[in-house]
Amino acid sequence: MGKRDFARPHHVAFFDAMATELPDEYATQEVNHLTLGYFAVGGLSLLRELDRVNRDEITRWVLSFQVHPEAHDTEDNKGLFYGFCGSRSTQFPLPNVKDPCHNVSHLASTYSALAILKNVGYDLANIDSKTLLSSMKKLQQPDGSFMPTHIGAETDLRFMYCAAAICSMLDDWTGMDKLKAKEYILNCQSYDGGFGMVPGSESHGGGTFCAVAALYLMGFVQVDLASNLRDSSSIDIRMLLDWCLQRQVTGGGFQGRRNKPSDTCYAFWVGGVLKIIGAYHLIDHCALREFLLTCQSPYGGFTKFPDGRIPDIYHSYYGLAALSLLEEEGLEPLCVELGILSAAL
Amino acid sequence: MEHGKSGPSSWPEMADVVPVPQDDGPSPVVPIAYRDDFREVMDYFRALYCAGERSPRALRLTNEAIELNPANYTVWHFRRLILEALDSDLQEEINFIEKIAECNPKNYQIWHHKRWLAEKLGPGVANREHEFTMKILALDAKNYHAWSHRQWVLQALGGWESELQYCNQLLEEDIFNNSAWNQRYLVITRSPLLGGLMAMRDSEVDFTIEAILANPRNESPWKYLKGLYRGENNLLVADERISDVCLKVLNKDWSCVFALGLLLDLLRLGLQPSDELKAALESTRHCDPEMAGDDFATTVCCILQKYDPLRINYWSWYKSTLSS
Repeated sequence: MGKRDFARPHHVAFFDAMATELPDEYATQEVNHLTLGYFAVGGLSLLRELDRVNRDEITRWVLSFQVHPEAHDTEDNKGLFYGFCGSRSTQFPLPNVKDPCHNVSHLASTYSALAILKNVGYDLANIDSKTLLSSMKKLQQPDGSFMPTHIGAETDLRFMYCAAAICSMLDDWTGMDKLKAKEYILNCQSYDGGFGMVPGSESHGGGTFCAVAALYLMGFVQVDLASNLRDSSSIDIRMLLDWCLQRQVTGGGFQGRRNKPSDTCYAFWVGGVLKIIGAYHLIDHCALREFLLTCQSPYGGFTKFPDGRIPDIYHSYYGLAALSLLEEEGLEPLCVELGILSAAL
Repeated sequence: MEHGKSGPSSWPEMADVVPVPQDDGPSPVVPIAYRDDFREVMDYFRALYCAGERSPRALRLTNEAIELNPANYTVWHFRRLILEALDSDLQEEINFIEKIAECNPKNYQIWHHKRWLAEKLGPGVANREHEFTMKILALDAKNYHAWSHRQWVLQALGGWESELQYCNQLLEEDIFNNSAWNQRYLVITRSPLLGGLMAMRDSEVDFTIEAILANPRNESPWKYLKGLYRGENNLLVADERISDVCLKVLNKDWSCVFALGLLLDLLRLGLQPSDELKAALESTRHCDPEMAGDDFATTVCCILQKYDPLRINYWSWYKSTLSS
C-alpha cells in the first residue's frame, strides 16, 4: 500500500458545505452554534480558503452575540457575565424579557467568538473588553476554577482554558487571578502525570491540553523542553512528557486515555501539549500521519475512528489542525495554544 | 416521550401563548437546518421564558424542549427556577433525570442537573446516586461523566464503605480499565475510612504487583505502582519489590516496555542494581558489543529503542539526558 494522500479538495468541499449549511443532525449542538462556526471558519482558514466566506458578514454575526450592559441592569445582576452567547436560543430579545438574567453568555462561546474574529482578521481592540473581563473575573471560584456562566454549571478545566485564552487574545489579564488558577490546575495533575478535568479525575487528553495551554498562556510553562525540565516550581513535566508520549499507540494515532482506542482529535489535544512543552519532535510523525489519513473520509473531513462513518465537523477540524502541526503541505500553521492561525496573532 | 406527538401549538393549555420566533439576526452564518418541531417548541419556550412564567405548563414545556435538545442550558436553568418556585417533588425529579441521563449518558447539562438535585437533597440520596452511576458504568465502564459524578457524590455526600470493593469488582471484570485504577487511587488517598496513602501503600504495592504479573503488557498497574510513591522518589527506589517485579517480568520477556521503562526511571533516580539485576543487564549487553562501555540506564534506553520503536525519538532523547 502506497503512502496515503491528503485529499485537500475534498476537505475544501466539506468545509464549504458546512459553512453554507449544517444538516439538522447538528440541531442538538445548536447551543454551541458559535463553536460550530469556529470549526467551519477554522477549517477553511487552515485550508487557505477563507475567501469562500464573507468576513464582514461573519464579523457582524459574531458581534451580534455579545451581551452588553443594559440600562436596567441592577446591582442584583452583579454576577452577570458580559461575554458572548453561543446561539440565538440563549439570547432573548429586549424588551420582552422580565427575567433579569435573560442573556446567559458563556465562556466557551466567548472563546469561540474571539477566535473566529482573530481568524477573520478583526481587530479585537474594537471590543469592549473592560466589561467583559471584569465580569469574567466574577466567574472564578474560590478554588481557582471557572464557572462558564453566572447561572451555575459544571466547573472544569475546559473553562479554565477558555478564560486564559480570552485574556491572552484580549491581552489583558485582569479577567482572572492567575495564581489561584495555577493552583487549581496543579491540583488536576494526576498520579500518572496527565491531567483530569477536575481534581481526582482520570488523566484525559482534553483536560491535559486545557491545563498545559492555560499554564503556557499565563506564563508558567516555557517554550523548550530543557527549560521546562529545569523549572520544578510548576507541574511534573517529566511525568507529563511520559504520559503524553505513551498515548501514541500501535497504528500511530493518539488515545485520549490509557487503554482506550485512538481517536483523531487527540492528535491535536495530546500532540498540542507536546508542541507547547517543546517535545513534538519526539513523536512518530509518519505513523501519526498515516493514522490520520485512515480517518480521512471520502466525503472530505475526518471521522473519529478509522471506520468509515459520516465525518463530523469537530473531528474534521481537529484532523486538519493535527495535520497542520505535522506541517502538512497546503495547510496554514496554527498557534496551538490559542487554537487560531499563527498568521492571526 | 414519543416522537410524532403534536407540538405545543396544538396543546389547549398553550392556546393563549403567542410564540416568539427566533431572530436569526444579521447574515446567519453556518445556519442550521432546524426541523419544524424543533423550531415550534423553542418558539413557545422563548415566549414563556421571556414572560418569566413559573407554572406547571411551563415545566411540561421544558420536558419537550429537553427531549429535542438536552444541551440547552437556558432551558435547564428555567426548569430549575420553576421547580423551586413550585416547590416541586425533587424525588420525582430524580426519576425524571435518571431516565434522561440513561438515554444521554454523555451530556454535561444532564449530569449538572443531577448534581444540583443531589446537592439539594443531601446525604440521604448518596446511595441512590451511587446505584445510578453504577448502572451507567455497567453499560460503559469508562463513562467520564459518570465517574466525575461518582467522585463528587463520594466527596460531598459520602458512601465510601464499599468503594474499594467496587474497584476490585471492576478490575476483575477488566484489569485494563484505567478509570477503575484511577478510582482506586482516589479511594486509597481520600477515603476517610482507610487512613490515607501512607497507611495503604504497602498492601497496594502487593495488589498492584499481582496485577502486573498477571498482565505485564497492561500499562495501568505499572503507572499506578509508580503513583503510589508520588513525590517520594527515595522510597520508590528503596522498595526492593519495585525493582524485583521489573526483573521478574524481564527475565521472562525482555521486550516488556513497561518493565523497561520503570527500570529506567529507577536507575535514573539512583537505584543500585542488585547482583541479580546486574547480571541480567550485563548478559543483555553481551548480545550487543556496542553497549560494552555504557552505564546500565543507557543500556536500558538502547533496549527500549529496539523494542518500542514508536517512541524511538523519546528513548534517544532520554539517553541524551542521562549524561548530564
